[in-house]
Amino acid sequence: MFNLKKIKQNAPAVPIFVWTGLLVGIPLIYVVVLSFLSRDNLGNVVFEFTLENYKRIFDPVYLKVFYNSFLLAALTGLITLFIGYPVAYFTANLEPKRRSLAMGLIILPFWISSLLRIYGWIILLGNKGLINNLLLKFNIIKEPLIMMYNFGTTLVGTAYMLIPFMIIALFNSVDKLDRSLLEASYDLGASKWKTFFNITLPLTMPGIAGGFILVFIPSLGLFFISDLLGGGKNVFLGNLINAQVTKGRNKPLAAAFSVGMIVLVLIVLYIYNRITKDKKEGLFL
Amino acid sequence: MNTKPKRLRTFYLSLFFVILYIPVLSVILYSFNQSPSTAQWTGFTLDWYKELFNDRVIAEVFKISIVVAFLTSILSAILGTAAAIVALHVTKGMEKKINTVMILPLLIPEVALGVSLLLFFSALKLPFGYLTLVLSHSLFCVPYVYIMVQLRLKEIDISIIEAAKDLGAGTGQIIKTIILPLVMPSILTASLLAIAISLDDVVISTYMAGPTSTTLPVHIFSMMRVGVTPKINALCTLILVGTFFIVGLSQLISKTRKQKEEF
Amino acid sequence: MQEPLLQLKKLNKYYGSSHILKDITFDINYGEFLTLLGPSGCGKTTLLRCIAGLEAIDSGDILLNGASIKDLAPNKRNINTVFQNYALFPHLNVYDNVAYGPRVKKSMSEKELKTRVADFLELVQMSGYEKRMPHQLSGGQRQRIAIARALINEPDILLLDEPLGALDLKLRKYMQTELAHLQKKAKTTFVYVTHDQEEALNMSDRIVVINKGEIQQLGNPREIYNNPKNLFVADFIGDRNIKKVKVLEKNNNYFRIKLGSSIIDIKCSDYAGGGCNPGETAILAIHMDKMKISCTEIPNSFSGEVMSVHYAGSQIRSEVNVDGEIVTVIEYQNNNSDYNIGDKVYISWEESGAVLLPLEDYVEGSNV
Repeated sequence: MFNLKKIKQNAPAVPIFVWTGLLVGIPLIYVVVLSFLSRDNLGNVVFEFTLENYKRIFDPVYLKVFYNSFLLAALTGLITLFIGYPVAYFTANLEPKRRSLAMGLIILPFWISSLLRIYGWIILLGNKGLINNLLLKFNIIKEPLIMMYNFGTTLVGTAYMLIPFMIIALFNSVDKLDRSLLEASYDLGASKWKTFFNITLPLTMPGIAGGFILVFIPSLGLFFISDLLGGGKNVFLGNLINAQVTKGRNKPLAAAFSVGMIVLVLIVLYIYNRITKDKKEGLFL
Repeated sequence: MNTKPKRLRTFYLSLFFVILYIPVLSVILYSFNQSPSTAQWTGFTLDWYKELFNDRVIAEVFKISIVVAFLTSILSAILGTAAAIVALHVTKGMEKKINTVMILPLLIPEVALGVSLLLFFSALKLPFGYLTLVLSHSLFCVPYVYIMVQLRLKEIDISIIEAAKDLGAGTGQIIKTIILPLVMPSILTASLLAIAISLDDVVISTYMAGPTSTTLPVHIFSMMRVGVTPKINALCTLILVGTFFIVGLSQLISKTRKQKEEF
Repeated sequence: MQEPLLQLKKLNKYYGSSHILKDITFDINYGEFLTLLGPSGCGKTTLLRCIAGLEAIDSGDILLNGASIKDLAPNKRNINTVFQNYALFPHLNVYDNVAYGPRVKKSMSEKELKTRVADFLELVQMSGYEKRMPHQLSGGQRQRIAIARALINEPDILLLDEPLGALDLKLRKYMQTELAHLQKKAKTTFVYVTHDQEEALNMSDRIVVINKGEIQQLGNPREIYNNPKNLFVADFIGDRNIKKVKVLEKNNNYFRIKLGSSIIDIKCSDYAGGGCNPGETAILAIHMDKMKISCTEIPNSFSGEVMSVHYAGSQIRSEVNVDGEIVTVIEYQNNNSDYNIGDKVYISWEESGAVLLPLEDYVEGSNV
């Protein structure tokens, strides 16, 4: 009897699952299936089971790609955390008017075209770019510095692109912090740094973990940043998948790499869930 | 309070915001440079904008992008709002499941999502173009609408809905006369965000675009890969002005909403 | 005799394992102002929501004009509610708020509606406020709009859930009189929920006192005030001195009891008669403001020593030690009130101010 009532109450939720199932669930299942199939010489998919695609992931060349991508995502997470934490912390402590101004400035980049923001770095860092121009003009350097097209530039671009996500996650956490806890800690004789490490940091852990996720996941796939700023010298997962689909015409291999990327995300999400298990804060809500 | 930490705070924040906006400002600045190279500032010009307006291809992809963005925002607004209202109605356990399912598209890296949609749609022999672009863009715009509308719904005093029920309104009437008017500002803001997200997407659009229906960002991306030209600067600057217009609009909406409803 | 308007029959309600309403059974008559009175958490609001249909009942029945309504949705019951926080629709102006009910029920044309809304706004003295938004109104004004919005549907019963709780003291007093007048003018049955005994006594035709999900007493304000059925009601209504006493004798109309060394006679209350027997301990509950202090000896009184005297405006609150028991007396200032701390005094009371109750539900410390 109670089941019937519950079913009736929950029935309107069905279309939601259909929508996500059709556009996320089934395509992902299809990709998993595809990753176990072969292809013929023309690039057509052949329905023949194989583990070849997964074997190729463990080819040192491709393993390096996984390593590169993981390193890029992890470093992006760390850099945005270290730069973003003080920004979030200071912003939360500003007086109301300046605070909403600062929040506005942090959120505004969401609305600015991401290509424009990356393009700005090309203009700044290029051999004939703004920074080289200035340095040459003031005779600080004789030859233009080569700053473009390496791992570092990709990292700068990715971190620059994603830091607003990190700051907002951190800000929400810092802002929820009960100020009287900090005062209590000072009152009990703890120094500023001790209070920060013993009270503030542990209490904002959900924000840190959440921000890390929000930065880590997209940085695995923003292939246009490494294309534009990295110049293709370092190959990342995103570029590899993109190349296999658009040029290499090896769909099963692209599917296997996609599965690999999703597994990487799942591992990180699992760790995130373990860290924030007892805390009520959700990732978005 | 002593002023030293305050000064440190101001310095750090200022430095951060300068670095955050310098790339954007330099793009704008060089869109007015006469020289096609960033090596020198040779004087102010609007030539690049003129050239832009004469570019037929850009006009075409721009039109496609706008259409896709509008359709995406309408579809996402409907789906996201409906899902948020459903989540209000179902049991707590089901609400949690819906929350997870709704943010799922944001938890998968865009490349993986794009590739899986590409492979799936081509297996279905779906024609690539407007349909695939709108569907895929909606997929990751719906979560934003859902989140924003749900936040607003949670603010609504439950007794207001009970009052409507008490006065004789059925579920449909409550949604039409009470819930929708109250969440409308959030729906509008979220729709504008959806437009901005759709207009900005490079990754998924790369896979979803058809042979004759490339979007503006995909086109700009291919231009950028060829090389730096102030024409791109001019184009980016125009897009920036356009999005800021949208931002201004959304600010206006939320401001009037606040004025209307502050108790 | 006319059939009651609403009949509640053995109503039970559970939240999980907690039993919120226990066998609630009583009738509500046409045109009366009935108040559900009890401390917070006693189940009175839940009972109201069950009548409104906003909560389902687990067993029992609710009959409106003789027909069961327990399975009807709130929008199908001809009962309307004024919510605690008024629940005005924030996006609609006063006119549209009041017009909401008839509009969703499509019960009249816009033209008819216009005169109707005007009538009901006049009834609550809010004519001319049609275009105002709810946030532009004061608490008392919102209150009236909420009432007009409910009354325009011509409900058989209007339910009011602590509608004065959010108002300040002065406005609350004013609105009490106003509401009682309005109820008579509108000729509608009001069921009113409050935890404020003064509000209940002031406005109601009848009061239902509820505690822990059970009806303690049902009666008119005078009965409830003067003849509490049990200790809970005695303690909850008014300020009483509640003392354990020894019953010495029982006559037809009087009990002879002993408190400390004083021996006095107490008139039987309507309810207490059966419960108290000679030789047993019983509870004596006397309204503090129906007691009098005298410096000269009078018959049938307690004698004691004045411990403290507080002046609070026109009232004096004194504490008297009667052989170790502290008795509080609240009096208006008069010529006889010239006693001081340490004086030996005699305390008497109006007959209607005292009741004797059986000991059974006395819990040490918690009642007093």
